[in-house]
Amino acid sequence: MPDFRKLAACTVALSTIWGAAAATAEEKPSIVTVVKVTGENWFTRMAEGVAAYGNDNDTVATSQIGPGKADAAQQARLIEDLVAKKVSAIAVVPMDASSLEGVLKRAAQRGIKVVTHEADSMKNTLVDIEAFENKAFGARFNEKIAECMGKSGKWTSFVGSLGSLTHVQWADGGAENAKKYPEMELVSEKNESFNDANRAYEKAREILRKYPDIKGFQGGSAIDVIGIGRAVEEAGLQDKTCVFGIGLPKDTGSYLESGAVDGISFWDPKDAGYVMNKVADMVIKGEEIKDGMDLGVPGYEKVSVKKGAGDGIIVVGEAWVDVDKSNYGKYPF
Amino acid sequence: MTETTFSSAAPRSESAGAVAGIWAWLMRHPPAFTLILIVAVSLVVGAINTDFWQVSNLFDILRASVVRGLFALGVLVVLASGGIDVSFTAIAAFVMYAVTMLVVNVVPDMPIVAILALGAVGGACFGGLNGVLVHALKAPSLIVTIGTQYVIRSFLLTFVGTALFMNVPAAMDAFGKLALFTHHSANGSTSTLPAFVLILAVASFVTWWILERTLIGRAVYAVGGNAGVAERLGYNLRTVRIFVFAYAGLLAGIAGIIHVSSNRLANPFDLAGAELEIIAAVVLGGARITGGSGSVIGTLLGVVLITLVSNVLILVGIPSTWQLVIVGIFIILAGAIFSIRGRQS
Repeated sequence: MPDFRKLAACTVALSTIWGAAAATAEEKPSIVTVVKVTGENWFTRMAEGVAAYGNDNDTVATSQIGPGKADAAQQARLIEDLVAKKVSAIAVVPMDASSLEGVLKRAAQRGIKVVTHEADSMKNTLVDIEAFENKAFGARFNEKIAECMGKSGKWTSFVGSLGSLTHVQWADGGAENAKKYPEMELVSEKNESFNDANRAYEKAREILRKYPDIKGFQGGSAIDVIGIGRAVEEAGLQDKTCVFGIGLPKDTGSYLESGAVDGISFWDPKDAGYVMNKVADMVIKGEEIKDGMDLGVPGYEKVSVKKGAGDGIIVVGEAWVDVDKSNYGKYPF
Repeated sequence: MTETTFSSAAPRSESAGAVAGIWAWLMRHPPAFTLILIVAVSLVVGAINTDFWQVSNLFDILRASVVRGLFALGVLVVLASGGIDVSFTAIAAFVMYAVTMLVVNVVPDMPIVAILALGAVGGACFGGLNGVLVHALKAPSLIVTIGTQYVIRSFLLTFVGTALFMNVPAAMDAFGKLALFTHHSANGSTSTLPAFVLILAVASFVTWWILERTLIGRAVYAVGGNAGVAERLGYNLRTVRIFVFAYAGLLAGIAGIIHVSSNRLANPFDLAGAELEIIAAVVLGGARITGGSGSVIGTLLGVVLITLVSNVLILVGIPSTWQLVIVGIFIILAGAIFSIRGRQS
């Protein structure tokens, strides 16, 4: 019994601390950014942008949270909590857009402003921010792959998961572009890596076995190219394959050096985090976002605005960055 | 008339007797079922795509079986004692990430043997804690290990770190690349059988030896069979419980180090969610989820079976969207075969 009492006392003490922390945060409008998963370098870099907006603008409090593993249900639960706490605005990078529609609708009903990133099919959002046109981004990868493999041969695509809409759009955009080149053959498309480099590695090995003459790989999740790169390197096929995809310079560096990965593209998640919070702040203040507007962040100087899937709008920038072996060192993340 | 009836009846009962004999033998040797399933899957896949019969495929399946196998041996020992453990992936993730960081930041030239030992000790400590909790709280081990899994994982992500760790220590990198065999195929690509498969071989032998040849092994099966009776016979439940969970933790710690070495990066999010697949492998290897049975050979076959099925779907040409469906259906079907066996015996 005394053990039980100690436990109860601890619980009470903990919840008091929690309550106090929550109370201090309520004073000014709060914007909470909810990412797919905490801790990937990508979202760590995004957190810098989120913090930077808070530092530049002391009228709002900004913070970033995300589930411990990339799981749509866990992300939904985090947003439920935010709705219950009634924050001013939520900026979400959804793991699986359709599974968040319900909870974001409830958020809107409670007067919480919702903005999203990487989710242009989302209905229950006021503003969705895209770093670029997703199909165009996928086509860019494919164009590089096509050029590298001489516009003929077998190629395949990877996605983090089939529920990750942007990854699927990149893969489709790539496939669409490849139709220009009749000698390119897409095989075993959209392999799921589940954001695990080892899974990407195992699938890449299996693909190399089934199609020993494969020439092109298009990565979807930021760590796909790492796993594919390792498989290519171990098979000694650096010079015979072309691996392009999204990735971060610091993580992919050694594979760019060895030639196992030929090039990566990304958008700076720090800028995306900053822009999401800027847009959320504008929505809270009731300011309108117009076509051709300058949001004051590189790549978002002249955004295009179009109608979204629901009542909201989609803001599209041109914020992509391409790097290869020669210049990846310039980006310290 | 009677004579002909007799003569025609005799061979029938003889062949029926043979079938019954084989069936009875299979009853007593559950891993044989697993082996039959492995052969059947291989034949079917090999018939669909002859690329299946390649040395590189064998190497890849063995390579992918090592981490799963180490986990599964730990689960086998816990299951045999009548408990269940779902925290081993969290233990492995914690140990692999913390040890990698420690080695890089403090002793960058630590040899691999010391790193493996460190992982084993770290894992055994977490596992021992599981055992102490299960025994002291008298709570179901499923609940306790779900709890410790969450605590360990959250602690890792909150206090140790969350970023992808690309610069693994040189010793681990070299260990991951160390090849037992290198095979050059006709098209110029190479595939290697990594030396760390030997760790699984050693761990399998040690686990077999503990379970079959030592007093504590006897105690594990006795406690798993009926804890009350075992206690009255003089077995110390506390020792057995702490031992099984510490041993599972020890193997998980080693598995974590191997995962990082072969992956050449430490990602604290890796391995999450692999628990059920491992438990499925152990059960498909003939261990009963209720305890008191299970063998090392069966467990290894179960692991090979699960790895095989998840490593041939692209080869067979199953689209990405259908792959998890196929794995799920296969586990249900294989499980059903085992349940029929269970009911008849």
